[in-house]
Amino acid sequence: MTLENLHNFITDYFTANQCEILENDNGKLSIQLTDKMDEKLMNRPFYWQYVKKLGYPGEPMQVSFITNPDRKDEDGEWVHFGSPRIHQIFNLLNSQGKYTRLFERTTTGNRTALIPWLVTNVKISYTGKHKKDEILSIGLQLINGAMKTMMMDELEKLHLQPSIPDFCYTITPIIRLKSGYQRINRYVENYLENIEHSWAEESWSHLQEEKKLLEHFYQHSMDEDEDRFNQEIKDLEGRFKPQINIEVINGGLFYLSQASSSKIIL
Amino acid sequence: MNIQINRDQRFIDELDNKLENEGPFCSWELFKMSYHSSVATMTEEFKGLTAPSRLPHITFLQHQLDCAKQVIEEMNGRGILADEVGLGKTIEAGLVLKEYMIRGLVKKALILVPASLVNQWVNELRQKFYIPAISQGKRPVWDQNNVVVTSLDTAKRPPHRETILEQDYDFVLIDEAHKLKNHKTKNYEFVRSLRKKYCLLLTATPVQNKLTDIFNLVSILKPGYLGNYDEFTKQFGRDRKNLFNDTHLKQLVQKVMVRNRRGDTGIDWTKRNVETVWINFSDEEQQAYNELVEIVDETSNFSSITFTRELCSSREACYLSLKKLVNQGNTKNTEAYEAFMKRIEQLPHHAKADKVVELMKDKDEKFIIFTEYRATQFYLQWYLQQHGISSVPFRGGFKRGKKDWMRQLFENHAQVLIATEAGGEGINLQFCNNMINYDLPWNPMRLEQRIGRIHRFGQEEDVNIYNFAIKNTMEEHVLNLLYEKIQLFERVIGNLDAILADLEIQDVEHEIQTIFQESATEGEARIKLENLSSVISYAQQQQSEEDWNDTRESS
Repeated sequence: MTLENLHNFITDYFTANQCEILENDNGKLSIQLTDKMDEKLMNRPFYWQYVKKLGYPGEPMQVSFITNPDRKDEDGEWVHFGSPRIHQIFNLLNSQGKYTRLFERTTTGNRTALIPWLVTNVKISYTGKHKKDEILSIGLQLINGAMKTMMMDELEKLHLQPSIPDFCYTITPIIRLKSGYQRINRYVENYLENIEHSWAEESWSHLQEEKKLLEHFYQHSMDEDEDRFNQEIKDLEGRFKPQINIEVINGGLFYLSQASSSKIIL
Repeated sequence: MNIQINRDQRFIDELDNKLENEGPFCSWELFKMSYHSSVATMTEEFKGLTAPSRLPHITFLQHQLDCAKQVIEEMNGRGILADEVGLGKTIEAGLVLKEYMIRGLVKKALILVPASLVNQWVNELRQKFYIPAISQGKRPVWDQNNVVVTSLDTAKRPPHRETILEQDYDFVLIDEAHKLKNHKTKNYEFVRSLRKKYCLLLTATPVQNKLTDIFNLVSILKPGYLGNYDEFTKQFGRDRKNLFNDTHLKQLVQKVMVRNRRGDTGIDWTKRNVETVWINFSDEEQQAYNELVEIVDETSNFSSITFTRELCSSREACYLSLKKLVNQGNTKNTEAYEAFMKRIEQLPHHAKADKVVELMKDKDEKFIIFTEYRATQFYLQWYLQQHGISSVPFRGGFKRGKKDWMRQLFENHAQVLIATEAGGEGINLQFCNNMINYDLPWNPMRLEQRIGRIHRFGQEEDVNIYNFAIKNTMEEHVLNLLYEKIQLFERVIGNLDAILADLEIQDVEHEIQTIFQESATEGEARIKLENLSSVISYAQQQQSEEDWNDTRESS
């Protein structure tokens, strides 16, 4: 899967990181990096170390990215899904966009209560002979315990901001954060129990077959080769033993209006 | 069966902590982007390749994609890549590695290649595949998560050896893996001892001499898969032909080995136009040649055959060798040689050099000229310059950087590259499509290597090969009797080395030299040469019937 529009994606990324856009036209984006982004992206630690030591202001670089393949020979760095720069940005996002607390923007003049939600985006990796990933976006309402999957789709319809809007107040969660997380975990495990795992069965029986071959190979030399045999068994298990990894991509506490909260649960 | 489940506890602790301390929190924009980038980078299916879509600058060939898929999906990441030379084993291996890295299955990899290829591998992985490979420099970096390229010789030596054997590698690759065919060697032992998850062995000749070669290679990947050594030899014997003749063995091996041959790739290879350019010595040169043959006949010195051979290439090459001989002072007819050297000085320009100039006249295309002798290389460079043709020299002995530099000069500035050695694993000259074999090597493998420099992937034009040979000299015999007969020029002889090994001919060059040396008359030499080429071409026919050509269909 590719991002629908890589150009907009990187434009948004640099905007969200307070970099000034100098040029943005026909698949070419030129930006003035901030000190912070230069340090993160441009890989010149010695320069920044030196500048800081001397107490000088640093001079962050200007860079151009080209997303239009027809223009890739022009001045600037051609980026595409898969290019190292894009993956550098993805990696940065892993830490930059991991934890949040956000409030829904409401326009009413009345005092409005905001209801707390714990939202986690979870990546499940199934690893055996082969590997695949699945992403679940789960929201848990921390007052009544209602749960919602595909939560990100809902959130994207709303306007969210980092500070609490005027005339709004937050309701204290009834479900504590950590037990809320337990509920989400239980949901994920329940989900896993109810899907079929032929991939794991295949991997498991394959592992047993390979072990048998190995035992046969070493049957006459087990005495002198025991260490190697054990090592190779370990290698086999590393390669075939079915595993499921659950990892939270990102998550946080979201305070949503009563109206939005009810709409989501419906 | 139990499935191990690993949960994420760190996240909630950290979030709790941040809520307590009022942040720092990220903006909604970054949160959203982080989620979307994860969705974009996840792999949704167990099967299939995701790597090609991330490498839009490379056009993969169908057989390369099929190969990578087969290695990952059916061989579970352990296999022998045994394509014929020039079909892109490196690309296939890079694709497999990239796929595993994208899926997060490989973080730490060890790539063992011949020392001369280390830099090239690093560059290919970095530039083509965006894999941040590093070559092992002065400060070893074995114990980190990275992709290290080094040579087997470096890796197996202390102090590296000990450290490397302690590492758990996700991926190990060995290029030129036929060096591991003998299970009693240190190399073999070392590779067996590596702790590894996935493993690729690259070789164009999976069985070189004995059928047990394949047993030993497979036992690195899947010990026990072909039984143990005794069972294997008992069941399948030792004859390497059984790999193709024994249906059961063939089936077994196909599950751990991918072998594509040029014919199976379904690619339109650009044509190879081969032209023999017959050249006549000038009268003076011919007389000198005949005279030299006589002198040489009288002193049947072991290396004397080379003098006539050299004279067919350039006066300079011959002169230098004679001078060396005379200076050593232990030859019988020094006087005859000295007189002959005087004669050489009087000779006009070499007929072949004139031919080169003639051939290149009015053409502004690039040419590669291969010669066997350095003296000829110098002479040619000078002679071409006299005719306003720019050239750069190239030798196998050049350091990597110099090779690259010369290649670049050739690509951008000079019209001709004059090379003495194909020596040449390594440089690709697809931007040129004309080659002159100024003198022919007596070893057909080396000729194929030469041609392979330009007739490979990326070559978009038909390739023109001009083979120079002088009439009424030994060159005429070699060309007519050896090369024409085994049809070397028309087709690719990827498996010639195996054929020669089969015939127990270790060194064709030596063989031919002996023939010329030991034959009393020209007629005798001709008959012997003819016999040699008959044997080779017979074995060729046999082999082509033998080798499997349906590896892929099995999958």
